[in-house]
Amino acid sequence: MANESPVIQPDNLVDHWASLVLRIGVWTSATLMAAALVLAAVHGFRIDLPAHPLTLPVLLQRLLSSSLDPVTLGFTGLVVLMLTPILRVIAAIVGFTVERDRTFVFVSLTVFIFLLAEVTYSLFIK
Amino acid sequence: MTVSLLVALLAGGFVAGTFGALLGLGGGVFLIPYLVLVLGLPVHQAIATSIVAVIATSSAGAALNLERHTVNVRLGMLLEIATVLGAIAGGITANVLSGAVLTKLFSVLLFLAAILMVRRARNHTRTEPVHLDGVLPGIVPDDGTGNPVPYTVRRIPGVLGVSFVAGNVSGLLGIGGGIFKVPAMNMISGIPIKAAAATSNFMIGVTAAASAFIYFAHGHLHPMIGSAAALGVLFGSFTGVWLSRRIHSHVLVWIFAVVLLFTSIELYLR
Repeated sequence: MANESPVIQPDNLVDHWASLVLRIGVWTSATLMAAALVLAAVHGFRIDLPAHPLTLPVLLQRLLSSSLDPVTLGFTGLVVLMLTPILRVIAAIVGFTVERDRTFVFVSLTVFIFLLAEVTYSLFIK
Repeated sequence: MTVSLLVALLAGGFVAGTFGALLGLGGGVFLIPYLVLVLGLPVHQAIATSIVAVIATSSAGAALNLERHTVNVRLGMLLEIATVLGAIAGGITANVLSGAVLTKLFSVLLFLAAILMVRRARNHTRTEPVHLDGVLPGIVPDDGTGNPVPYTVRRIPGVLGVSFVAGNVSGLLGIGGGIFKVPAMNMISGIPIKAAAATSNFMIGVTAAASAFIYFAHGHLHPMIGSAAALGVLFGSFTGVWLSRRIHSHVLVWIFAVVLLFTSIELYLR
C-alpha cells in the first residue's frame, strides 16, 4: 500500500479543545503573574518568601485566607502555568474518547498517569 | 528583589524569547546563560525559571499551531510518554547534582546546540522527500505554494528513543529539547520540518511541566523571578514570531551559533 495516499485526519475535536485549554491557561497565569509583579511594586518589592518550599495545600490555604500578597499570587500564576499542559492532556483524553479512538485514549491516559504521579509526589508529599 | 532586577528579568526574558522564536527555539538556551552569567542567579534557580518560561512560550505557540492543524497530535501524545519519563528522570537527577556539574553539562549542551543550529540552517533549502508508507498520517501546508502536503510517520521506535533523551535534557538543564527532537523527527521519521517543529513545540509544555513541579517542590522557583522571566519570554516570543515573517533568519543563525559557542566556553571555564 506504499503508493496509496494516507487517510488524512480531518479537523478534529482534540485540536480545538487542546488549543482552547492552552489559551485559557496561558492568559490566566500571565494575568496572575502580572498582578503579582504590580502588587510587589506597590509594596516596594519587600517580599517575604516562605521559609520552606510550598506544597499545594499550603498555597491553597494562603489563597483562601484572602491574603492576596504578591508571593501567593506569583506562586499561583506559576502553578496555573505548570498545570496548563496537564489540563491539555485531559482535554486530549476527552477528545479521543468522543472520537472513539481507544488506542489514543490509552496513550493519553498513560501520559496523564505519569504526570499525576509526579505532581502528586511533588506538591502533596514532598 | 529590586526594580532594576525586575527590569533586567523582563528585558532579558523578552530578548531571549524574541531570538528563541526567530530561530525556532524555546529561548532557554539564551535565558539560562543570561540568568547565570549576567544576573548571577544560582544555576538550579536559573533552570527552574527557564522551565516555566518554556512552558509559557510553548503553550502559546502550540495553541496557534493546533488551530492551524500543523501539529500531529497523535504522534505528539505518543512521544510524550518518552519525554515525560525522561523529564522526570532529568528533574530528579538535576536536584542531586551540584551547580558546578550542571553548569559544565549546560556548556556542553550549548556547544551541541550551536552545531545543530548551523546544520539545520545549511539543510534549510534541501527539498524534503515525503513518505506515505508509514503510520499516523498528517497534513502540512507547503512552504512555497501553501498546498496541503500529506505525510506519514516512519521508524517510531527511533524517534521515541530521541524523545526520551530530549525529555531528560529538558528536565536536567531547563531547555525545551526541540533542538534535538525536530531534526530527529525530520531525519528519522521523515516528517516535514514544519510539522516536526509544530509537534515538538506541542510536546514541550508537557515535558517541561513534568520536571517543573520537581524544581518547585525543591524551592528553586522564586515567584517574582519566575513570573518576570516568564512574562518577558512570552511577549518576546510573540515579537519573534512577528519579526520572523519580515526578516530572514539565516544570518541570525550563524551569529547566534557563534554567540552560543563563546557562551559555552565561558560557562565551561567558569
